[in-house]
Amino acid sequence: MRVVIAEDDALLREGLVLLLQGEGLDVVAAVGGPEELLLAVEEHRPDIAVVDVRMPPTHTDEGIRAAVAARRAHPELAVLVLSAYVEQSFATELLADGAGRVGYLLKERVGRVATFLEALQRVAAGGTAIDPEVVAQLFSRQRANDRIALLSPREREVLSVMAEGLGNAAIAKRLFITDNAVHKHIRNVFAKLALEPGDDSDRRVAAVLRFLEAADR
Amino acid sequence: MSNPSVSTEHTSVLAEGWSVVRRAAIALKWLVAGFGIALLAIGVIALAVVTALLCVVGVGLLLLRAMLDLVRRVAELERRRLRAIGHPVRMPYAEPPRGARAAWQAIAHDPTTRRDLSWLATYAVVGFVVGAVAIQIVANGVQALTLPAWWHLVPRGEATLVNGFVAVTTWPGAWVAMAMGVIWLVLAVALSPVLLRAQTVTGRRWLPPDPAIDWSTRVAELTATRAAALDAHALELRRIERALHDGAQNKLVTVAVLAGAAQRSLENDPQRTAEILERVQTGAESALAELRSVVRSILPPVLEKSGLDGALSALAAQSPVPATVRVTAGRVPVSVEATAYFAVAEGLTNVARHSGATHASVEVTMRGDVLQVRVEDDGHGGARVRDGSGLAGITRRAEAHDGTVTVSSPVGGPTILEVRLPCGS
Repeated sequence: MRVVIAEDDALLREGLVLLLQGEGLDVVAAVGGPEELLLAVEEHRPDIAVVDVRMPPTHTDEGIRAAVAARRAHPELAVLVLSAYVEQSFATELLADGAGRVGYLLKERVGRVATFLEALQRVAAGGTAIDPEVVAQLFSRQRANDRIALLSPREREVLSVMAEGLGNAAIAKRLFITDNAVHKHIRNVFAKLALEPGDDSDRRVAAVLRFLEAADR
Repeated sequence: MSNPSVSTEHTSVLAEGWSVVRRAAIALKWLVAGFGIALLAIGVIALAVVTALLCVVGVGLLLLRAMLDLVRRVAELERRRLRAIGHPVRMPYAEPPRGARAAWQAIAHDPTTRRDLSWLATYAVVGFVVGAVAIQIVANGVQALTLPAWWHLVPRGEATLVNGFVAVTTWPGAWVAMAMGVIWLVLAVALSPVLLRAQTVTGRRWLPPDPAIDWSTRVAELTATRAAALDAHALELRRIERALHDGAQNKLVTVAVLAGAAQRSLENDPQRTAEILERVQTGAESALAELRSVVRSILPPVLEKSGLDGALSALAAQSPVPATVRVTAGRVPVSVEATAYFAVAEGLTNVARHSGATHASVEVTMRGDVLQVRVEDDGHGGARVRDGSGLAGITRRAEAHDGTVTVSSPVGGPTILEVRLPCGS
């Protein structure tokens, strides 16, 4: 897998390069700012970009904007955004095109290397990886009149784990329920969120997006 | 680096003497300015008398408004002088009265106008006399001191002292005159701060707003300073948040990432583990250093440990420009101390960066319930306060305490930063 890294803190950038190279990934460029990221994507056409949210010049959301811009230019690019804190509006912005291939994780998750690599693979393969922290934040902000409110507690649980990007088998394992039960819950979630039948992975992304948007309002 | 506490007694006495002379020179400058304002006041009074006479004929009534305007301008001039000296006197005037009748009403009843007029009358006398005395003392001193150089060049009997009362005709007389000149100048140095205080008494008495009608402006002022306090607070919080996020937190994330890498390398490539662990340690250390500097910027631990005196001495010891510190104030609220500390830190930084000074002095005194902080250097002056500079930040901090920051920095020096922080309720 060919990776571009954008992180303005030199020490952390080096650390990320060291880690990913150690895992046998091909880090084709490691840059320190949003513009350099766009140039690097243009030049190297990586499979995935790992991007820090706060970068120069204003250290607010440059990373998100750069990631969105890179995606507009290259829709096939997968983006994994790393952030020191979670802000669910960032996640919504990233997922807005509904195409998946997006991850949004707290920076420290990188330290759990196995899980992080899984998330990286999943996003590169077209899925999502939304940090559990974002999901938790969403539930604490749900409003009664949202479609989300129609979900049963179990269905919510399934949806939040789905938002993290886990597949059916993994969800079943995490929640200690059978594959069949997971299947049933997911069908209910799709129905309650009024998602038309179609490509299953598209619907999964759409469900997560719906979920994020619900919290945005 | 020089430590002020070990600097020799000799140099500190010299520096002390030098700063006394410099202060006297500054006082003298303001005394002369005050004399000028007194002359203006006398002029305005003369015009007022003419206007009053013309009122008898009727024409003068048309001039009343212009007259009041003139009084205000002179009073404003004095207020500017008072502010420059360090008495924050401000007057929010209402619109000047329109028409002769309204002008007359103002003179008869408006407390602000009446206070202005009271000041004008008293200051014309006090400002003039005190200013004249100060100028006379200096003139006497200079004349007497230089007498040996010129008395034999002028016609006999014209080398006189004290406005012509004493004539010098012999060399011994000239030398005595010179000795007297020294005494005059010592007197000038000793008296000019006192005279300046005397000259500003009437202004300080009459030129601030009438305490009875001042509540609304005071409320407006408090609202503004409260907003400034909140602003300063928000800015400070943002700065701390930024420092924590982009500094310490990133370093800790690095530690977590590298720890993960080390764990993985144990399985894949054990030789690299030691190298990665080394980086883990470096990361942890720099995170700690980052945290320390953030903490120090919130409330310097040295301030808590050794009080303002000790903290400022420590600052002075770190200053590249040798600095002496004198603190005569006792303990004040810790937030005031912190502001004073950061003001001095900023002052000394500016001295080192811009002033070209060879020496700086820091003085912290208590005047009533106001903490006065003064940072003075012997550099080339010409400093300006720009928005966004460190000084602007200090000003915001001071305003949050209802305090003031003044910078006097004429080209040629010296530069004096003065921060006044009320410590009362």
